[in-house]
Amino acid sequence: MREQLREDLLASLRQKRRGFTKGWYKFSRNPLSVIGLVVLVSIVLAAILAPYITPYPEHAKPYTNFQDSGKPPSLTHFFGTDRVGRDIFSRVIFGYRFSLTIGIVVLSLGVAPGVILGLIAGYHQGTWIDTVIMRITDIFLAVPPLVLALAITAMLTPNLMNQMMAIALVWWPWYSRLVFALASSLRSEYFVREAELTGASKLHIMFREILPNCLAPVMTKMTLDMGIVILLGATLSFIGLGVQPPKPGLGTMVAEGAKRLPGEWWGTIFPALAIVVVILAFNLVGDGLRDVFAVEEV
Amino acid sequence: MTAKQILMIENLVKHFPTKRGVVRAVDDISLHVSSGDTVGLVGESGSGKTTTAQCVVGIYPPTSGQISFDGSPIDVAFSRRSKELKGKIRIVFQDPGSSLNPKRTIKQILSVPLKVHGIGTPKERLSLMSHLLETVELPPGEYLYKHPQSIGGGEKQMVAIARALATNPRFVVLDEPTSALDVSVQGKIINLLMRLGDELDLTYLFITHDLSLMRNVATRVAIMYLGKLCEVARTEEFFRSPKHPYTRMLLSSIPVVTRQEESLKPEKIVSKGEIPSPVDVPPGCSFHLRCPERKGICSEADPETRAMDDGRLVRCHLYEHGAAKAGG
Amino acid sequence: MSEPLLDVVDLHVGFRIFEGYLSVLNGVQLSVGVGERVGLVGETGCGKTTTVKSILRVLPMPPAKVTDGQILYRGQDVLRMRRRRVQALRRHELSAIFQDPLQSLNPVFTIGTQLRDIVKDSAIGQGRRLPRRVIEARCIEALRETGMPDPERIMTNYPIQLSGGMRQRVCIAQALSTHAKLLLADEPTTNLDVTIQDQILRKLDELVDEHGSSVVMITHSMGVVRDLTQRANTMYAGSIVETGETKQLLEGPKHPYTQGLMASVPKLTGEGISEGIPGRIPNYLDPPPGCRFHPRCVHRMEACSAELPSLFEIGGGHRAACYLYGGEA
Repeated sequence: MREQLREDLLASLRQKRRGFTKGWYKFSRNPLSVIGLVVLVSIVLAAILAPYITPYPEHAKPYTNFQDSGKPPSLTHFFGTDRVGRDIFSRVIFGYRFSLTIGIVVLSLGVAPGVILGLIAGYHQGTWIDTVIMRITDIFLAVPPLVLALAITAMLTPNLMNQMMAIALVWWPWYSRLVFALASSLRSEYFVREAELTGASKLHIMFREILPNCLAPVMTKMTLDMGIVILLGATLSFIGLGVQPPKPGLGTMVAEGAKRLPGEWWGTIFPALAIVVVILAFNLVGDGLRDVFAVEEV
Repeated sequence: MTAKQILMIENLVKHFPTKRGVVRAVDDISLHVSSGDTVGLVGESGSGKTTTAQCVVGIYPPTSGQISFDGSPIDVAFSRRSKELKGKIRIVFQDPGSSLNPKRTIKQILSVPLKVHGIGTPKERLSLMSHLLETVELPPGEYLYKHPQSIGGGEKQMVAIARALATNPRFVVLDEPTSALDVSVQGKIINLLMRLGDELDLTYLFITHDLSLMRNVATRVAIMYLGKLCEVARTEEFFRSPKHPYTRMLLSSIPVVTRQEESLKPEKIVSKGEIPSPVDVPPGCSFHLRCPERKGICSEADPETRAMDDGRLVRCHLYEHGAAKAGG
Repeated sequence: MSEPLLDVVDLHVGFRIFEGYLSVLNGVQLSVGVGERVGLVGETGCGKTTTVKSILRVLPMPPAKVTDGQILYRGQDVLRMRRRRVQALRRHELSAIFQDPLQSLNPVFTIGTQLRDIVKDSAIGQGRRLPRRVIEARCIEALRETGMPDPERIMTNYPIQLSGGMRQRVCIAQALSTHAKLLLADEPTTNLDVTIQDQILRKLDELVDEHGSSVVMITHSMGVVRDLTQRANTMYAGSIVETGETKQLLEGPKHPYTQGLMASVPKLTGEGISEGIPGRIPNYLDPPPGCRFHPRCVHRMEACSAELPSLFEIGGGHRAACYLYGGEA
């Protein structure tokens, strides 16, 4: 029995490894996706190691040095300095910490409930369960996410935690929509029919038969969404409803810099570019993932 | 008909209301299946053969009519059937690509019916599964841990058969089990099914569009057209002298491969017309628009099913009066 | 045999994928005379469709790659033609009908729009501009020829409004509306019911006769080949294993694969079902050396795994790629 279990595990590991190498092959067919992945990995590593690799880590904290105020980009300050003399490059790297945290926390809060609700509604398509879940979803979807997030954040104290909660609250319905569509079409596949006719429980059918077949699109969407969530976070920070100064949120920095345009352009442009780069990277990686999960034709 | 009747379908009707009108998928059919038989239910698309099978296994409850299995009524959907009944009546679907979950290993797939029906202790199940794979002539060591997409179509269908047999069924509905497979693979699956049928004393309801296949497999053949049965007969008699004009058209349309076969086909009946939609069934006999022997009455009255001398059932105005009249 | 219209010579085509190199076509030999109807029979994955796509030059390259061989159309190699020349060829000389008409018809345009475009573009390609009235008349004529009832109404319909048989008739009308010289029919009736298949094949037969086109009929059904073609080819794992007059080939199959295939077809004589052919089609990543059928063959000899047999003459144009009928000496 134990031997059998071992073999079981080994076989599944072998399968996984094969799947992984094959996935990487397909991913690497698109050079843009690879570039996206390299950029993304660098950003993540930089954000994690920010205190050790940035030239002026103390500039991320409350810090002033008016002597260096408003310096243009140079070799000592790659992205220049802001009005109180902080190194913008260091602050951008620290800013990624906030952005990535927002992305990860929002998606981990929002995706699971969205997926589960969509799964339940999709499997019960056409019944009252479907109606209740999907109408609620639709109500959330009907309000533009930025407006809803704005409203929620405005009611609460503006800080990072509340901002993430607000975005998560507007994010789950997209996942229930996606999984609902997938589940309701998978429901009529013969393997689901067969499980029903065998007498398998609903839980088994939903979580063991249908859910595994929904994961690939969900993962692709999560990657693509990371970029959008980061953008939404930055937007909220920009209007003062997110990361509070002097903490270096990317959106906050854009807002601060914008006051001194066009003279000290670097204060706005570099944080803004940083946002663009991370969103682009997530999108390229998402496209690559889509290729990985695409059904083979040949 | 000395053998026990295991499945009785009486006046089965299954209608699907849609926006475009009511789809009369199955419209009043009666069919009895004796224990140990292989009944071939043959028809073209839209004939209702698959819907009939789906009512038998309980995917849909019938609109009206009775289905009984072993003497007890089973005309409800699967959710209201007992576990025991679900184990006794099993189905093998047409497309093995879609009937096996691509994300699960064959071991996981085979374990579901065993777990659900509480067959064997968790420890015994592995050997039970190996045994099931051996029954369908697949070496267990090689297949247990594979995913369906890494094996061939024929092998997938064998796994599906193994899964159907896991609960020791008595009655198996075969819904076009080989139509997605190549002929060189079909032979193996069919012979496997026939051998298992004998060894395990199974009764089959074989849904197909392939009459040539039924000639070699079925003990009785039933022809369906637009939700109704046209003709039911024992296989030899059926092919020796097909009676219903639709049956003859069907038989004469089959492309055959040898001269000997050609001689067995009824005289060429040129097939014409489209199969009408089951939403809009022609009045009278549903076949009359395409029938080469159409009479006045055909467009007015639906013919009754008649039993002929040899036990054959035919539903056609040509045979309304008395059993034997020239045909074929 | 008269000068061939199409001559596929020793065609090798492969695909590069993650797992390695799929060597699919392994020296396909196929010739079609003017006005001749040729059947190409084989099972799933034997390379039938890859052959058709190579002839039409619509294989996606990469991943596909032609490593060797020629496809001569009237003596000119399609594989080495300029793109414009191939387009002209597809416009006027070649036509194709595929298995799934729903995929070859555009769902968002009416049948009329799609047919008119084909007739118009084909004429423009020949340097003529047809008046609308003529185009309309030709379309309706083409539909009527296929036995379609009420072609005027069909012209205003969308593909999904038609039944499978009707759609396939539209595809046949499209294929024949340009008076193509060579028609490639890839499993045109596989998805249809037998009574409808019968009608479509009969109509196709008549029309091809009228137009004098040559036909390559690709199918997995021996019966269809028997009804419709003069010469038949059996294909296995990327090469033609047997070729000959259809009658000869079906009545006295020589290659063990053709024999196995014939035995596997369920027959109306009710003699039971043969066990089929043991094993399965080889993995193209690592196909067996020599004759690719040898691992499944009951007559296997030593020579079989050494070298691919060429098509040996048996008599009367009947040839089989098998060492039972020649080689060695």
